[in-house]
Amino acid sequence: MNTAALLGLYRTDRVLAWENGHPITYGHFLSDVGALADLLPEKPTVINLADNRYRFLVGFAAALVRGQTTLLPPSRTPGALAQIAREYGSSYCLVDGTEQVEQLPSYQLPKGTESPNDKLKVPQIPIDHPALVAFTSGSTGRPHPHSKTWGSLIAVARSTGTRLGLKTPDQMTVVATVPHQHMYGFEASMMLPIQHGMAFHVGRPLFPEDVRLALADVPSPRMLVTTPLHIRACVTARSRLPPVECILSATAPLPSSLAKQAETLFQTRVYEVYGFTEAGSLATRRTVAENTWHVLEGITLHQESAGCSMQAPYLRGPILFPDLVSLQGPHRFVLHGRGTDLVNIGGHRGSLSDLSQKLNEIEGVQDGVFFLPDETGTSVTRLIAFAVAPGKAAEHILSALRTVIDPMFLPRPLHLVPHLPRNETGKLTRAALLGLLQELHKEERHGT
Amino acid sequence: MSDVSPLEAEVAKLIVRTLTLKVDPAHIQPEEPLFGDGLGLDSIDALELSLAISQSYGHQIRSDDPDTVATFASLRSLCQSIEKHRTK
Repeated sequence: MNTAALLGLYRTDRVLAWENGHPITYGHFLSDVGALADLLPEKPTVINLADNRYRFLVGFAAALVRGQTTLLPPSRTPGALAQIAREYGSSYCLVDGTEQVEQLPSYQLPKGTESPNDKLKVPQIPIDHPALVAFTSGSTGRPHPHSKTWGSLIAVARSTGTRLGLKTPDQMTVVATVPHQHMYGFEASMMLPIQHGMAFHVGRPLFPEDVRLALADVPSPRMLVTTPLHIRACVTARSRLPPVECILSATAPLPSSLAKQAETLFQTRVYEVYGFTEAGSLATRRTVAENTWHVLEGITLHQESAGCSMQAPYLRGPILFPDLVSLQGPHRFVLHGRGTDLVNIGGHRGSLSDLSQKLNEIEGVQDGVFFLPDETGTSVTRLIAFAVAPGKAAEHILSALRTVIDPMFLPRPLHLVPHLPRNETGKLTRAALLGLLQELHKEERHGT
Repeated sequence: MSDVSPLEAEVAKLIVRTLTLKVDPAHIQPEEPLFGDGLGLDSIDALELSLAISQSYGHQIRSDDPDTVATFASLRSLCQSIEKHRTK
């Protein structure tokens, strides 16, 4: 059986995590993993809801040691968690706060062992073990699972590290503003560090001042794992960040002007990472230098009749890009835009047809649709929804939506209309929806 | 309905303008929750709002400040925090 080590590099006294300025060593980590692995229940799948990055990682690693699979719920709404609980009935939850999933047994992650045990060996994990399941929202209204083997997670972490020129002797520390329960956050703030002997900050800073303090809390050299939204916030606030070796950005396209401002203001290099749930991270670019994306080592691109696909030794078969891309040979591509059904709001990817279906399932809604208006200005463009719901108040529909969809996708605003502009085949074109929106705006201006 | 201070009226307008909300600023109740069930704001909004507040009042909001959860609780608590920390 082929196996690969849990850690790319192991030294007992090397620092893995920083919590409130206190270091937690790799040695301590292995003790915590061993102790927790002995306590975990005998179940195949686990939903790890820990907010603290270190405790999440201990839970993930202990589950691996026990041959279990960690599920990454697509969102934390009670509806999404309940759906996962229904489909993976023999699961349990790991929590480090008060959050619980009603239908499943929950266990509090322990605070950690007292002192590390020096004699522990780094666990070896079978490379074909399904370590993780991530979900995408499909047009069916049910989350679609994507299983990740331990081998594929390691391959992506290694090739990303090679691309970024990470060298284990000069230990870099990651500060991440993105959640570790999302694929990008998981890969860049958990897998990248443990495969390259790096360290990370356990928190998840949000405001520019939080980012500055978190960076100041860890030693140099530092890497900031973030999104265009947070980069824009730090640039606008003209934050005086401590020296940052490099910034990784993903989840939405980063305008090259913003990348340039960030590089100048923070004296750093800004890299973008491109990926999607089905494949994981697959390409990078230095945004200020070029528009073209370069795939990670081992990946090849192909033009197929249905679109462009990518292939890698760790994937079972070719995977189609969900976005519009054009190839520049087998290793480079240009991104032209997101597919028409997929939207990305502040790093959360969703399907418009899935969201519309959830709207239509609400009691009292006769017809409804979500759509993304044309992007304006620099702030995040939010979704708009139209609903035909005689006798219902918008507030009633919004509170029902709030229990089933991620807050980022809540419509801004939800317009109640007498009917939707469906064409003779029953379709709703984007042009018709934009027309309806314009009419509504006109009426508002005239105060009718 | 409770009385609204001039700063509260001003910040209510800033919230509506920054987040392109479809509510009349005068209708935001000073004690009503801004996040979750009240106005239904989320973390993207919190970030946008923190930028607008730092630009208008020079107050840098932080989430590890024990007061931050309380700060964003309502329009009134937000304005109290601005009053305390503003530099312009």
